[in-house]
Amino acid sequence: MAVNEEALMWVEKYRPKNLNEVVDLHDIVESLKAFMKKPKTMPHLMFAGIPGTGKTTLALCIAHELFGPEWRSFTLELNASDERGIDTVRERVKDFSRYSRSGFGNVPFALIILDECDQMTGPAQTALRRIMETSSRTSRFILICNQSSKIIEPIQSRCAIFRFSRLDKQAMKEQLQCIAKKENVNLLPEAAEKIVDYSEGDLRHAINALQTASAYKEGVVDEKTVLLVIGEASPMQVQKMIRKALFGDFIEARKTMYEIMGSYGFSGSEIIRQIQREIFKMSDLTPEQKADLSNVIGEYDYRLTQGANSDIQLSALLAQFAKFGKAIGETY
Amino acid sequence: MNNDLLWVEKYRPKKIEDIVGNEEAKSCFVEWLKSKRRSKKAVLLYGPPGVGKTALVNAAAKEFEFSIIEMNASDTRSEKAINEVAKPATSYIALDSFSAANKGKGNILFLDEVDGIAGNEDRGGVGAIIKIVEEARVPVVMAANDPDVDKLRPLKKVCLLIRFQQIRIPLIIALLQKICLLERVKADFEPLEHIAQNSKGDVRSAINDLQSLSEENHVLTLQDTMTLSSRNKDISMAETLTGFFSAKSVAEASSLLSRSSVDYDEFIMSVSDNLPRRYGDPDELAAAYDFVSQADIFRGRIGTEHWFLLKYFFNALSRAAAVAPESYKPFQFISPPIRIITLFWTKGKRTMLDSICGKIGAQCHVSHSIAKHDFVPFVKIMLQNQKSSPLPSWFKFTPEEVDFLTKMNKY
Repeated sequence: MAVNEEALMWVEKYRPKNLNEVVDLHDIVESLKAFMKKPKTMPHLMFAGIPGTGKTTLALCIAHELFGPEWRSFTLELNASDERGIDTVRERVKDFSRYSRSGFGNVPFALIILDECDQMTGPAQTALRRIMETSSRTSRFILICNQSSKIIEPIQSRCAIFRFSRLDKQAMKEQLQCIAKKENVNLLPEAAEKIVDYSEGDLRHAINALQTASAYKEGVVDEKTVLLVIGEASPMQVQKMIRKALFGDFIEARKTMYEIMGSYGFSGSEIIRQIQREIFKMSDLTPEQKADLSNVIGEYDYRLTQGANSDIQLSALLAQFAKFGKAIGETY
Repeated sequence: MNNDLLWVEKYRPKKIEDIVGNEEAKSCFVEWLKSKRRSKKAVLLYGPPGVGKTALVNAAAKEFEFSIIEMNASDTRSEKAINEVAKPATSYIALDSFSAANKGKGNILFLDEVDGIAGNEDRGGVGAIIKIVEEARVPVVMAANDPDVDKLRPLKKVCLLIRFQQIRIPLIIALLQKICLLERVKADFEPLEHIAQNSKGDVRSAINDLQSLSEENHVLTLQDTMTLSSRNKDISMAETLTGFFSAKSVAEASSLLSRSSVDYDEFIMSVSDNLPRRYGDPDELAAAYDFVSQADIFRGRIGTEHWFLLKYFFNALSRAAAVAPESYKPFQFISPPIRIITLFWTKGKRTMLDSICGKIGAQCHVSHSIAKHDFVPFVKIMLQNQKSSPLPSWFKFTPEEVDFLTKMNKY
């Protein structure tokens, strides 16, 4: 495993730099390697999949493979959700392709990595499609998204699409142990188990949890510390809030909601998104119950966009949870 | 005299001396209007409603033979609309003064209710007014109730400010007595005093009240004026909440809301705060919250302009009051920490969190949103546990940002 000694966040420090270092994702890596042999043939790429499964890592690997240590001069990294509007994206792409027109060595184009494309609206995507067309002689795009279905057809048809699935638990545990060894941390097996369980195939999340846990105690990461860390980080609070509401303790649930809003500065829609994620992690609900709750969440997710006060809509959602909890009665 | 007229119209002051009170403001305005070389080309008359601002402008114009070109809040005052009406009025003055019909001294441009310039529709309105003041060759007079409205601040710089105060009670009583005499209304001193006090120095509303109470049988007793105080009395937040939660029916809650003058936004939040104390049963609570949620959606749609939707807001909210009238028990109102949270997450702190997320994003190739969810909670714990962590310098955090992160969950 190559190590980026300058980086202090382990997710950066142990991020693979070229395709050979990537341990999982064999099929994808093999296809990409084929492109690297003849860069001229590389089409626009689209990486789709849940967070923390290596999409950005592979995109950066490609940049390294194509341009070597000078990759930053030929690569534009953009985040669709951070840029203010498609016009900003257009301007930056235009400026960039003007200055890096010549490409590098036998690579006749510059690379544009556009993350979180599925956050873009339909009209913005249509504009993006146009940008891809007008700059196609000088640039290649790597579009990264969680769901390819949210990307309009004309863009999908211009890309080679690669789907990233949830990382294998065993492989994740091996990765964590490997990092722990390099950092001289004794990661106990049951602690690794907990981290992996909790991270749900999101390796970035798992590594962040590991690093945070190792900051608690010198040299060893045990189960107790892991629970402490993930309990303090926000998603656990969200689950606590959901459980309280389902148990009918509405006032306590709402108190937790205020804590989450206050401590982390999350907006109403961010909390709803987390609620949605956490519901599907809860093993004591049947799939049918999860689906029913999901419908309710969806309704309030929409109301949130229409209403004036996010805390009122969230409270109303928690009240629905309390009603739901009462209805399934004995289970809870 | 025409008997169908509203008394406020009928007894509108014809001469400056007819206007009661505010002697200082009156003479100040007259002096400004009469002077040949005005120190400021525009004047802003400000003060509570019904104290004679518009009346003064009209009366003065009449006395000094100016014609008035008026725009008020009911006209749209976008830059375009202002220019259409006001520009010709200010620049074609010379032509006008030669005409035989107009022997006066010219025009006054009068912009009434300038604090009513709305944000969106009247875009550029304030700027256009300032431009007109600068270019105008005629006196520009403006009137406003609340001179502290932010958007009028630039106006205040180019205007002479003249302040109007509430009219003193004895002056209003005297005026009412005069009107009673002319309208042949038999009224004692006490009921007139009551009307005057109730008007809070607003002559217009005092005259309106007098007319509505005495027009029919031309007698006014103290008993008659009693309905007045209850009609105009503000119902406080606590009273409204108590009445709201104890309402037996949707209709009762609805009529209470229409009488109360509490702030809508504050009220819906207070209802949301206290709903779980009112409804213990999850089914009832969920049903009530559903209505509050719908009311909130209407509030969102109302925004700052679609106030015609307010009735739907009230209807939805009223239904939340009467989900289960039989289960009502009095309870103590609470105010949960949401207000504190709103105060805590100031714009400055949000900007700081945003800047932190941006720095994390730059180092770790993630968006602000992922930085906020998947990095900030962890980085925060690491900084809290390792006093001399090298992380801040790697992320290029400022000391303020480090301080902010380590104290993050203690709002």
